[in-house]
Amino acid sequence: MELQQNHFEIFGLPVGYAVDRQALARRYRELQQEFHPDRFAAKSEREQMLSMQYAAQINEANNTLKDPVARAAYLLQLAGVEINPEQTTADGEFLMQQMILRERLEDVRSAADPEAELEDLGSEAGQLFKAQETAFSTALQGSVLDEAKSALLKLQFLAKLQRQIEELEEDLLD
Amino acid sequence: MALLQISEPGQTPEPHQRKRAVGIDLGTTNSLVATVRSGAAESLPAEDGRVILPSAVRYTEAGVEVGYGARAAAGEDPYNTLISIKRFMGRGLADIKNFGDQLPYHFADPSAEGSGGMPVIETVAGTVNPVQVSAEILKVLAQRGADSLGGPLDGAVITVPAYFDEAQRQATKDAAKLAGLKVLRLLNEPTAAAVAYGLDQPDEGGDVADKTIAVYDLGGGTFDISILRLSKGVFEVLSTGGDSALGGDDFDRAIAEWIAQEAGLGTDHDAATQRNLLDAACAAKEALAGESLVPVSYGDWSGELSREKLAELLDPLIAKTLRACKRALRDADLNAEEVAEVVLVGGSTRTLRVREKVQAFFGREPHADIDPDQVVAIGAALQADVLVGNKSREDLLLLDVIPLSLGIETMGGLTEKLIHRNTTIPVAKAQEFTTFKDGQTAMAIHVVQGERELVQDCRSLARFELRGIPPMVAGAAHIRVTFQVDADGLLSVTALEKSSGVQAEITVKPSYGLGDSDITRMLQDSYANAEEDIAARALREAQVEAERTLEAMLVALQENGAELLSEQELGELERAMEALRLAHNGGTPEEIRSRIDELNTLSEPFAARRMDKSIKRAMQGHSLDEFDTP
Repeated sequence: MELQQNHFEIFGLPVGYAVDRQALARRYRELQQEFHPDRFAAKSEREQMLSMQYAAQINEANNTLKDPVARAAYLLQLAGVEINPEQTTADGEFLMQQMILRERLEDVRSAADPEAELEDLGSEAGQLFKAQETAFSTALQGSVLDEAKSALLKLQFLAKLQRQIEELEEDLLD
Repeated sequence: MALLQISEPGQTPEPHQRKRAVGIDLGTTNSLVATVRSGAAESLPAEDGRVILPSAVRYTEAGVEVGYGARAAAGEDPYNTLISIKRFMGRGLADIKNFGDQLPYHFADPSAEGSGGMPVIETVAGTVNPVQVSAEILKVLAQRGADSLGGPLDGAVITVPAYFDEAQRQATKDAAKLAGLKVLRLLNEPTAAAVAYGLDQPDEGGDVADKTIAVYDLGGGTFDISILRLSKGVFEVLSTGGDSALGGDDFDRAIAEWIAQEAGLGTDHDAATQRNLLDAACAAKEALAGESLVPVSYGDWSGELSREKLAELLDPLIAKTLRACKRALRDADLNAEEVAEVVLVGGSTRTLRVREKVQAFFGREPHADIDPDQVVAIGAALQADVLVGNKSREDLLLLDVIPLSLGIETMGGLTEKLIHRNTTIPVAKAQEFTTFKDGQTAMAIHVVQGERELVQDCRSLARFELRGIPPMVAGAAHIRVTFQVDADGLLSVTALEKSSGVQAEITVKPSYGLGDSDITRMLQDSYANAEEDIAARALREAQVEAERTLEAMLVALQENGAELLSEQELGELERAMEALRLAHNGGTPEEIRSRIDELNTLSEPFAARRMDKSIKRAMQGHSLDEFDTP
């Protein structure tokens, strides 16, 4: 492992959207076994410092590859596409659909069966997310970077919606 | 008489035999120290045979008293007897007032110089802060360890609640520094408990099954729930939650309030009355473990406390802990049924009602065989034994997460999260900043910890001032600030102006904690009080550091010195080591330190090459098994 290796190389995985999560988890543990600062507690200060930097990089790589949205953004970055964090999708139809979903989310509390409604919303958001993942993966494989970027922006939207659904679920449980 | 072993000049002696390492549970109510001897971990008793050291410190004109004697005096001398001080660690005075407790202490002006924004308590022996009070407890435990192991300690693992934020962890480490302890690692209490139960050990068939473990830790003043994943010898903290201001003390307070109400005492009591009420409450609670109804009396009043009444008083508090369990499971993306093992920690889990509720929540009987007061110290001792190098446990690795998000203040008092909670540490995150005025050469970064959007709702950790930015027009400077959180959960910050490559100078002002100069001053104060010879201690510390450095170097040279170093490099390193040995045997602390620095600098390329070798080995191991697995 070197500091200039990309996240996929660190884990010995092929560069691409589909990631073997088990291989990733196994490799992550192997690398931490080797480089975690606890392995260097009785070593020299210099080695302790290096191990902390390596362990931090392994963690960063693992977090990026584990998370579908972060992984997609990282892949685009590797392909040389800049993502402006402020940027948002311009797909009117998609935005309209999002608005409707969000309105439903806001009305959950007053629904007859809030938990069932929330579950419906959750599975709908999940399906939309999967569809955009497929779109991203296909576009990236075909090197149609504009389309991949558009799918990523939608994935970000949907991930945020999923988080809000989870937060509301937690609120309702309390 | 044993013969002294003397090595030939130029040859390296065998590395030390067993190191003296301990695990310390620095608890809110009770503290313990444990060590590994003859392969087994055990708590170390005081001369009177008791292993528990109550976390109570009493200041008198004659000196400092720690433990049972101090706790017994809390009723008669409440202002000078500090109990549950752990709740004050890394906190400001305003936080503590918010606890809503009836704290008997006299607080001094927190803006006083050198207090680091921490609450300062006035005692007959002068003012003290929570770090100093904790250091007194650690000193007693360290001494107990040194007496029992026959010499000064080489290192300690100190446990902290998984929920502790950066300031609280830093305060703990500072207390260890004041007590003269070398901290091998700050370990999360629940992780230590899981290690103590040997949940990482193989079963009869020799396999270690992957499993999820919940550690329910209800101590005197803190509640923690941690969801751990054990997988091929790696303990991964999936999530943590809890409440750093909820514990058995609250049980006692709830019962005490009930007693006060029944006895017609009203709600406003002086410190001594409150202490006595709490003692009566605690006694009643403990008696109910074996009875279904116990008599309670206070002053002229006497009555009875039943298990049902106790359940009624405690259930709202226990429900709070179960809500936190639910949240932690959710963060880990799990259901209660998916938890394979539940471990109970903390004296308050002896309360029958707590066990019933926890068992019902997780649907399985929790582990409670090891004394819940000792289990954390025992796990810490096992880990200390590994970290200090006595025992190789290649199969065991503890990965921890940051319990609360780390962010910085942006325009309008908003928080921008840089590192999200439950991210595995160590972790580094870089953020770029620019100047907003022409010629601006300094900027301040306010780091906070917490989940809320507004800075005022998060905990203020520290303010970092960057200086030495080259003057440029507004917006032209690109300052890359790297926030690094180490394996102990402690934050450090570095900054670089990218276009000029200038390293900005950083000064840290912890919001509720000590700067380096404060610690030095307090160390000096403590020497003055303890009649300890400051020079002797400085020398001893430098010598220990020298021994540690030499030994690390010896081990490294034995492992692959011949392979990775040219003859010339090897010769240079050996000369630097010899110089350090000479300084160690007769030099001043300053001389020893400068030889250590020289050796460290000289060995940097060697350290880097050793790392490269590890990397190559890790990569090769990988290419072999990675592609063979289907």
